[in-house]
Amino acid sequence: MRAIRLRLNGELACGLGLLALFAVVAICAPLLAPYDPHAFTSQPLERPGPAHPLGANDVGQDILSELIYGARVSLAIAASAATGTVALGTLVGGAAGYTGGWLDELSMRLVDVLMTLPRLPLLILLAAFLGAGPVQTATTIALLFWPATARVIRARVQALRQRGYVRMARGFGGGPGYVLLRHILPEIGPLAAAALVTAAGRAVAMEAGLAFLGLGDPTAKSWGLMIRFALNLSGLLLTDRWLWWLLPPGVCITLLILALTFTGMGLERAWHPGLEHL
Amino acid sequence: MMLRQVSRHLPQRLAGYLLTLWIVLTVNFLLPRLLPGDPLAALLDPQNSDYVFDAEVRATLEAYYGLDRPLPEQYARYLTGAVTGDLGRSIRLNQPVGELIASHLPWTLLLTLTALGLASLLGVWGGAAAAWKRGSFTDRALAAASVVIGNTPVYFVGMMLLILFGARLRWLPLAGGRTPFAHYDTLPAAVADVGKHLLLPALTLALAMVGAKFLLVRNSMVGVLGENFMLVARAKGLSAGRLKWAHALRNAILPFVAHLAAHASMAITGAVFIETLFSYPGMGRLIFEAVGARDYPVIQGVFLVVSMVVLTANLLADVLNARLDPRLREA
Amino acid sequence: MNTPLLSVRDLRVYFPPPPLPGGKEGSAIHAVDSVSFDLAAGETLAIVGETGSGKTTIVRALLGLHPPGCVQGSIRLGGQELAGLSEEAWRAIRWRRVAMAVQSVGTAFDPVYRVGEQIAEPLREHLRLSASAAAERVNALAGRLGLESRHLRAYPHQLSGGEKQRAMLAMALSCGPEVLIVDEPTSGQDVLARARLIGLLREICRESGASLLLISHDLAAVSALAERVAVLYAGKLIEVGPTADVLERPRHPYTWGLLNAYPTMSTARDLRPIRGGLPDPTNPPPGCRFHPRCTQAVARCRREEPLLQPLPSLTCGGGAGVEERWIACHLGGLQTLLRADGLRKAFPSTELRACSTNGNGRIEAVRQASLEVLEGEVVALVGETGSGKTTLGRLLTGQLEADGGSIVFEGRDVAALDPARRKHLCRRVQLVAQDPFDAISPRMTVAQVVREPLDVQSIGTPQEREERVRDVLQAVSLPTDAGFLARRAHTLSGGQLQRVAIARALVLDPKLIVADEPVSMLDASEQARVINLLKDVQSERGMGLLLISHDLALVRKVADRILVMRRGEIVEEGPASHVITHPQRAYTRALLQAAPTFAWGPAAKGAQGDEAIASSST
Repeated sequence: MRAIRLRLNGELACGLGLLALFAVVAICAPLLAPYDPHAFTSQPLERPGPAHPLGANDVGQDILSELIYGARVSLAIAASAATGTVALGTLVGGAAGYTGGWLDELSMRLVDVLMTLPRLPLLILLAAFLGAGPVQTATTIALLFWPATARVIRARVQALRQRGYVRMARGFGGGPGYVLLRHILPEIGPLAAAALVTAAGRAVAMEAGLAFLGLGDPTAKSWGLMIRFALNLSGLLLTDRWLWWLLPPGVCITLLILALTFTGMGLERAWHPGLEHL
Repeated sequence: MMLRQVSRHLPQRLAGYLLTLWIVLTVNFLLPRLLPGDPLAALLDPQNSDYVFDAEVRATLEAYYGLDRPLPEQYARYLTGAVTGDLGRSIRLNQPVGELIASHLPWTLLLTLTALGLASLLGVWGGAAAAWKRGSFTDRALAAASVVIGNTPVYFVGMMLLILFGARLRWLPLAGGRTPFAHYDTLPAAVADVGKHLLLPALTLALAMVGAKFLLVRNSMVGVLGENFMLVARAKGLSAGRLKWAHALRNAILPFVAHLAAHASMAITGAVFIETLFSYPGMGRLIFEAVGARDYPVIQGVFLVVSMVVLTANLLADVLNARLDPRLREA
Repeated sequence: MNTPLLSVRDLRVYFPPPPLPGGKEGSAIHAVDSVSFDLAAGETLAIVGETGSGKTTIVRALLGLHPPGCVQGSIRLGGQELAGLSEEAWRAIRWRRVAMAVQSVGTAFDPVYRVGEQIAEPLREHLRLSASAAAERVNALAGRLGLESRHLRAYPHQLSGGEKQRAMLAMALSCGPEVLIVDEPTSGQDVLARARLIGLLREICRESGASLLLISHDLAAVSALAERVAVLYAGKLIEVGPTADVLERPRHPYTWGLLNAYPTMSTARDLRPIRGGLPDPTNPPPGCRFHPRCTQAVARCRREEPLLQPLPSLTCGGGAGVEERWIACHLGGLQTLLRADGLRKAFPSTELRACSTNGNGRIEAVRQASLEVLEGEVVALVGETGSGKTTLGRLLTGQLEADGGSIVFEGRDVAALDPARRKHLCRRVQLVAQDPFDAISPRMTVAQVVREPLDVQSIGTPQEREERVRDVLQAVSLPTDAGFLARRAHTLSGGQLQRVAIARALVLDPKLIVADEPVSMLDASEQARVINLLKDVQSERGMGLLLISHDLALVRKVADRILVMRRGEIVEEGPASHVITHPQRAYTRALLQAAPTFAWGPAAKGAQGDEAIASSST
């Protein structure tokens, strides 16, 4: 793989910085969180104070700890879902773009159909039947997002296949394996990386959304779940409890998505400076 | 453009539509039967936690799903049922699914169409204005704002708006499609009440969608402004208004219309969250409650109807696109 | 002269540096620099230049399409100053008074509206015509341009390139502009479409009385349409004058090079590219922008930019003389290397010869011969044996003294020079003779032969001379190793020897080479090599070449101008293309007929030719 030069621009720096922050928090959760988020450490709905900087939820668990451990859940699911999406998308899209013919036709028909189906209802359907759990969540998200990636990858591979140097390589007697490895993969790499980051962003949103709807893993301390429980409390909005229970997870979700989006945009900008951006 | 070439024949599009619809029906049919855990059988298995206790409901379910019949027969019965409107019976509410959907669908359509209209208006107007003044502070600020808003989860935006306008300022109601148990003497009164309840959800959904629309229109417009025919139009001494709207926007709107087609499903996704958050009596709310109760017939029914709505929207947008772009009309 | 309709003075268009990724700034582009020209009512002026010379920038400036602040200078249309107008004011002028037909016609139309609508659009905007009135006018216009109503009802993507071209012209003419600007109308079109378009443009302008500003690098179209032509190079006008004049006798080295590089049906001469490349618009060379590629550049050219100034015109066919030629060159255009006027030379006759006596026992070899060789030009002197061409050659190189007339070389009268200067003159003019075996001492080695002129003129140290010898041998594609240098001249073949002779002629770095039948004694393959070599060297160094030959077919391949000599007099002269395709004199025609071709059939051309010559010698 030839060295991929990365020129840092504003978006990339911003995004990566934030991402790093979340990663650190997630990894060092046990060190940073004051309590075990599953433990009942205080009175239910206790207000923020020195012992509990963000107060406690309706069963007496520390909100701050929930928040910190939530980073793990979100990042983990985002990472796995995104990896699945890009892996599947690259596989199908790459094969379709490179081989052409009936495989291409079939794959693209499948992609078209999948992209027309409304995502969330399908997601809900799948989640309802598959049950809750991190693996299921990641899988369902990946199953829903891979078509978009496949399209993008296929288009690129198709274009590459026509390039002069690829044809030359085949003229030298290089087999498809060689061509894929030596010429196509290095070009696809950056594209797949950018797609990975973007997919991760969408996965975070989706996972939180699913948790919010009650389709996520009820045992995992996800930010979406926190929001769900918070909203379950009647009259939450009429007090100021939302400030420390509802707002923090919402802000965290938003920030993580933004971090991933900026990183994705920054990557695109760094590798394709010609694209019209702001 | 990485979109595949949109087929220009209406019959072909129609055939594609029907094909996708058939696939949706089949997926709907197969999914519960293929997935691990055999959820349908669980409904009828006394050992299982999902067991339906009400004998009458259980009997209806057994009849509808026909699990003891061979698969092709189940499929045929399912298809005939779908075509005639028999989508089973809700476990939770003990009502025909078709009726439930019929009473909830109008609210969702009201919400989604209002939001789409609002988002489109804002997005198109904003995008055109930003592109005309490209590079200026306004342009960059608007674009940055739309990126941030577009990435904020829709339920979060909704929550913030709800807190601000519903809880703090008390301007707008906190929940529902209309005031419960209200009777309306006049039509304007009815419209006003529904409108009040519609405002926040529609606004939230519109905000969730406007970002992408704004960026799309802006970038498309910037592209068009750089085209040769725009230079010629300017050289013809045409007024700024004519240049901006009759020529630039008229061309820039084309990818936007295509986008509308592709993102009709996005509107539905947003609607599910919004309806849940605002307790709006639409399909999203229906499916949310159904999920909680493992009410499979309702879930499946909603999925089917929603898919149909999206497919129809796609088809309409394609037709509109062909009408707007003469290059697509050729045989 | 009336005041011109359009008057451009000192037009300057400057694009600010673009932002580059990474926060750096690109360089500013000075696209157009101090361009001035006039366009009279009803006149057609062509602006000629290569890609990147700034032609389209000028067009856009004339329509006020550049961002504010980029354009400086004055643009006066019918007395009104256009430069610096507000966008509002420009809108009133655009299309009504100045209209343009753009180059890329494929993307000139809005794809979502019908063509007829778009043609009518300016009519409705500017003239406030109703839909029906506009439609009527559009139909009439379309009819004149050969478009039917089905074309008008169609969308742009449904029309062919030629139809779109005509539609665009219709659109441009719709408001009856005073000035019509047409940008590269013939680019990318096949010859038939081009010809039709040229005819169309001519007709339109004649009918409507509009002035036409033609922007093109298609010199054939320019010569067919334009009365005057302005040549643009790197954003500056370098030559302006009447079209026929400029194209026939270009005075600026760039125009000259451009014409040489341009293939037409009438020239059989090979294409010559101009050495070097176009300058970088963000970093133009100091002084004259053309000087890095110019073969006659002097120190002043590198420092100062020349201004566009009028020169007396040099019309070939006796023009009115009122038209001026403007040139931007410190040296006033192509230098005249050699100018001979009324040369005379007679020899005492040792025996009476029928055809060249004047009655008192002297043979007049050269009678009143006048000729001129410009910088970089190849002039061919053709004629039969005994026509006096060799004598003339010897006169010009100083091997013989003329009886009368003058020879001016690089502006200095040769006769008036003192011997020291004369010797110096030898460095500038050299002769390559017909017979290499005769012209080179067979006993000398190659090195000695080539070094001889250096030794005679005492130029440089012995090492430097060796160096020079090697350089020049390389220039003629001969080996430079010690072995070859030590070979005796008599061991070489005719072709090699002639190349050595050329090398010898080149070693003093002359400005003019007179080649007397340089290849007639060589084999055909050697001929080709030597003549190509001469041409290469000549074009690379910008030397003048006076080629004396009897072989018209050969001359045709290399000559820019041809002089036909007969019995000591020059009977016809002109640009090579003219002389060969439209010879004026019967003698020339006869020579052409007799020129070697591959003739098939019983009637031998040679016989015909002989008869023709005999019959024309009255």
